[in-house]
This record gives sequence, C-alpha cells and structure tokens, in this order.
Amino acid sequence: MCDQTFMAATFGPCDSCGKTGPLMNIYIKNEPVNYCSFCVEVMAYRGLQKGETLETLRQESDTLKKKLEEERGKLNDVELHQVAEKIEVVGALSIKTRRVLKGHGNKVLCMDWCKDKRRLVSSSQDGKVIVWDGFTLNKENGVSLPCTWVMACAYAPSGCAVALGDGLDNKCSVIPLSLDKNENLATKKKSVAMHTNYVSGCTFTSSDMQILTSSGDGSCALWDVESGQLLQSFHGHTADVLSLDLSPSETGNTFVSGGCDKKSCVWDMRSGQNIQTFENHESDINCVKYYPSGDAFASASDDATCRLYDLRADREVAIYQKDSIIFGASSVDFSLSGRLLFAGYNDYSINVWDVLKVTRVSILFGHENRISRVCVSPDGTALCSASWDHTLRIWA
Amino acid sequence: MQTDTPHSSSIAQARRTVQQLRIEASIERIKVSKASSDLMRYCGEHAKNDPLLMGIPASENPFKDKKPCTVL
Repeated sequence: MCDQTFMAATFGPCDSCGKTGPLMNIYIKNEPVNYCSFCVEVMAYRGLQKGETLETLRQESDTLKKKLEEERGKLNDVELHQVAEKIEVVGALSIKTRRVLKGHGNKVLCMDWCKDKRRLVSSSQDGKVIVWDGFTLNKENGVSLPCTWVMACAYAPSGCAVALGDGLDNKCSVIPLSLDKNENLATKKKSVAMHTNYVSGCTFTSSDMQILTSSGDGSCALWDVESGQLLQSFHGHTADVLSLDLSPSETGNTFVSGGCDKKSCVWDMRSGQNIQTFENHESDINCVKYYPSGDAFASASDDATCRLYDLRADREVAIYQKDSIIFGASSVDFSLSGRLLFAGYNDYSINVWDVLKVTRVSILFGHENRISRVCVSPDGTALCSASWDHTLRIWA
Repeated sequence: MQTDTPHSSSIAQARRTVQQLRIEASIERIKVSKASSDLMRYCGEHAKNDPLLMGIPASENPFKDKKPCTVL
C-alpha cells in the first residue's frame, strides 16, 4: 500500500532562480511552490540566526528531544490501570451479529454511519458505494465508479451527501444523495480534493461545507466543498498518512492523524500547526480515533497493539496487547461512554478491550477475512464492521 | 513502508525539526493520575447511557429481534 514515494518530484523551471532541473514541491505560507534543491537550501540558510549551523541545530534538536522525554516522564506518577483498580469490572457483554450486509463484490474498505443512526454508507475495492438502511437491510442508493478503489467514505452531517476517497484517482469527491433510486448518482459526482497520491481517509467537518482528507502523499488537507479550494494543508508526516479523526469536542478545532511513519500527530485546523506528536508504535498506524470526551485518542497499528494517548498529559497511557495477538490491528472505535474499545484485526476477529482496566473483555468472531473498519453508531446502540470478506456486520 | 527523506541532513529539515520540538517542549501538561481520573469520571458519568456496555432490552434496540407478540 505504501510503495509509492510521497514526494512528487517534478521537472521544470525553478520558481526562484529559473534554472530548469528536478524540483521539490514545497509550501511557503500555504502556497505550493516549486524550488530546485539549491534554492531550498539557500532559503533555509538565509533563515538561520546568527551563530547557527547545521551542527548546532542538530545538537539543539537532540537536547530538545531529551527535554521532551524528561518533561513527559516527570508527570508519569501512576499507570491508568492502577487508578482504575477501584472501579467495577465490565459485566458480561451480550454482543452478537444481528445483521449481515451482503451486496459488495469485493473487499469492503470503509464504512460510515449517518447521524440518523440507521443508515450507513460503505465502499469497496470494486468501486461500488452502497447506502444501506441498517434496520431493514434495504439498499437505498448505489453508485458504481469503475476503475477505482474507494478507500474512504464518509456521510455528510446533514445525511444528504457522501464523500468518497479515491485510491487510484487521488481525489476526494462529494456525491449528493437522492430519494430517487433509479437516478444515476455517478453523474453527479463532484471532485473536491486533489492529492498527489491515494486518499486514505476523509471526513466532513461540522457542516457539509468542508472536508478534511488524509493521503498517501504524506499530507492532510482541509477543502471547501463548494469551490474545491484548498483552505489549509498539514505537513509533518514523513510517510503516507493512513487515517484521521476530527475532535468531538465542541470547542475543539483539532484533529489527529496517523501514518506509515509510526507517528500520530495532533493538528490545529485553523493554523495548520502540528501541536503534539507521539512516536510509540513499532509499525504503521492504520487507524486513529478520539475518545468521546476529546481528551484522548486511540491508535491501531500493524505492530498488533492499540494504544491510548492522553492529550493533556501529552503521553501514551495504555497499551492494549496480548502475547496471543500477533496480527496487525486495522481499525478502532470507542463505545458511547468510552469504556469499551472495539478493535478490528487482520486475524478476522474484533477484540473488545476495557479501556480503563487495560484488559480484554470479549472477542467477536464471524468475519471470514480481515476487518478493514469498525464503527460504533452515533447513539451507541450498535457496532458495524466492514471486512475483506465482502460483507459488513452489525453487532448489538 | 516509507522512503527515506532524501534531504534529512539539510539545514531546512533541521530548522523545521528544531522549531517543531521547541513548540512541543513548551506545552502545558498535567499528571497522568489527574488525566486518568478524568477519563474514569467521564466513563462513569456516561456508562448508564452506553447501550453496548450495559445491554438494553430487545424492545428498545431496533437491531435486536423482538419476541413475537400474541394477540389476546
């Protein structure tokens, strides 16, 4: 999946010195420019303060990293599961498969719930996107986009549109939904986002007007749906970004992203600034999801662990792992109260973790291939899982 | 799988790293004990409204099959 270079090297005249040669695509004050590597170095050199050299910068970087670790370590006075010893254990869960959604012809790569708590949209590797009624299993809408992998899909807050992320076109498009089942929705597809590599994740912000995308080109971006304009871009990952999640907090204007560089980053949506970075995982991070209060987030990785990070303590506070779990985790989501963490794995199972006591509560079996996504419904009554076995399951 | 950034030894890269680390080192942090108890409190407050955690009866959960009704 991450086998393409994310720095799109182009060839042409440099925007600064005019010489023709290989160019680096960089961003200055959010505007994309193409400079030859010499001009990039000159610009950086001019920006150096008096007395700074590459060596002093490297030393300062090392000192700062040590200081960061020390500061974080000072506050680690107790472990989460120790604080949670005094609360009650989670009772036996009676979660079973209640619905199996069949209709896709290939791996189901993504799904999302509608805010009305009954509809959901799912997308698959054969380019088919289906809107389902979760109660009746009725397929309300279907769109066929041949020659593309729809790697990401999201429902608009109004319920009137869906956003789709292309794995081959590198675009994110928005399709308005119609009540008329026979209408050919593919013709109404509107391209909004353009990346230089596959779109791995997309989500609407608080309204239907803006979408946030993550891409294999190493960046995330915020777009205006109506005009297709890039509003803000987020650079800092050094490899493909595989997942993103918007903060649920009403005052929050932040989102978290995770990628193949094993880092998860928290960003300020308005300034484009990377606020916090966490580097604990030992392999690609496949999914990141905020805790319902917005003060923490969980990540799922190919290193077979899921981890919980508290944003105010600025550190990892729990690792959900077991010696018997050796396959990568592809997706996570919290239950409504945040007490349970549902994680889908490449060994076809979904493990249910007690977030506070850091123990496994249950395992959900049923799928016949890897889980690509798990998502709890907006009112917390059900969990939906999408799998490479071409089906989705609703558990309750 | 990632490609190594070709200019990792460059001044531009080093400056960006230093600036980023300066920002990250200066943020305010709280103790893990306080953060944990806040997470626990949030769970406690919302636990009774969590259908998957508590389990709600079939009559209230549209996904669960209801028992057949008999007409008296």
